[in-house]
Amino acid sequence: MLKRIITLAGTLGLCLSLATPAQAGPKEDLARFQHFYLKRFPGVPLKEFANGVYAIDKVSRENWEAIEEFPPYEPYVEEGKEMWNTPFKDGKGYKDCFPDGPAIKADYPRWDAASKRVLTLELAINECRQAHGEKPLKYKKGPIAILTAYIAWESRGKPTHVVIPDDPDARAAYERGKRFWLARRGQLNFSCATCHAQNAGKHIRADILSPALGHTTHFPVYRSKWGELGTLHRRFTGCNKQVRAKPFKPQSEQYRDLEYFLTYMSNGIPLNGPGARK
Amino acid sequence: MKTLSLFRAAGLALVLTGLANGPALAGDSAQAQYEDMYQQAKAAQKRAASVEGEWRDIGKFLKKAQALAKKGDYEAAFKLARKAYIQGKLGYTQALSQQKVDWPSYFK
Repeated sequence: MLKRIITLAGTLGLCLSLATPAQAGPKEDLARFQHFYLKRFPGVPLKEFANGVYAIDKVSRENWEAIEEFPPYEPYVEEGKEMWNTPFKDGKGYKDCFPDGPAIKADYPRWDAASKRVLTLELAINECRQAHGEKPLKYKKGPIAILTAYIAWESRGKPTHVVIPDDPDARAAYERGKRFWLARRGQLNFSCATCHAQNAGKHIRADILSPALGHTTHFPVYRSKWGELGTLHRRFTGCNKQVRAKPFKPQSEQYRDLEYFLTYMSNGIPLNGPGARK
Repeated sequence: MKTLSLFRAAGLALVLTGLANGPALAGDSAQAQYEDMYQQAKAAQKRAASVEGEWRDIGKFLKKAQALAKKGDYEAAFKLARKAYIQGKLGYTQALSQQKVDWPSYFK
């Protein structure tokens, strides 16, 4: 009798475990995400996705390689170095806030348990400035992009390694970012995934939609369209406008959470910023 | 089955009619009608924003509508305010529909 009960309980347990899929966490999401792109673009190694659309389109790549011979972001890197080394009014400098700097890009975005929020590099820079009596920088372009271009340059080659700690608040921020990426928005009813996953590699007018894998590795970026450097959140703003959704403010919680999710999805891919794009 | 489809079609027609016509207009003058629509559009915009579903051009439409109303062109202003109202309603509905979004089938 006991044997029958145990067998029945075991069968029931097995049935239940099959009926209820295991709760997918960030690790499962990461595997699913990267597998999707590796399958969609066979023959493109994971690390190559750092080059965006140039990893998947030969003609675009040739043009890009020609541009990279005289990189349009190079003067900004030099300017950013000067910014990094210029002391604040109180005599301190960025090195006092970031002792491991300037090659600190791979440390961001990260979960800041003390303030219970996603801390991005740009936010950390402005908090450092304000702590030393300096005005915060604007988040989309200009000095913040120039300074982070130097930091990105010094961080080149380091792998993306965002950590989602075992903390319900951090997990909630990650989930919010994931939902943002997956949710359709705006009058065109597109999600980030619609363009950069479902239709990645396909044409949108004369342009090819880039894969989302590796999207975060090369920022800040010099876009020919902009004629200058811009931050990742500037690009988020532009994407949201293109689908006719009202964009959020750069460094808003929405965009920081999105950056957290999207950067985590590129874990393992080396940083190669600043980049040059169309 | 046929009855169910008919009910669905009737429901859809009602929704579309409602969206096309906008809310019932109050007041008898063009100005009053515009002002009522403007207030309703502002409320729809706020409601959409409360669920992070505001669309890009709502603010622009309302601003233009106000400028037209200032010039006395209440008919054109009303049309723009109604457009903003409809977009506010749609943005709100869209955002609610996406709150529990998960990986789409092509990722599975």
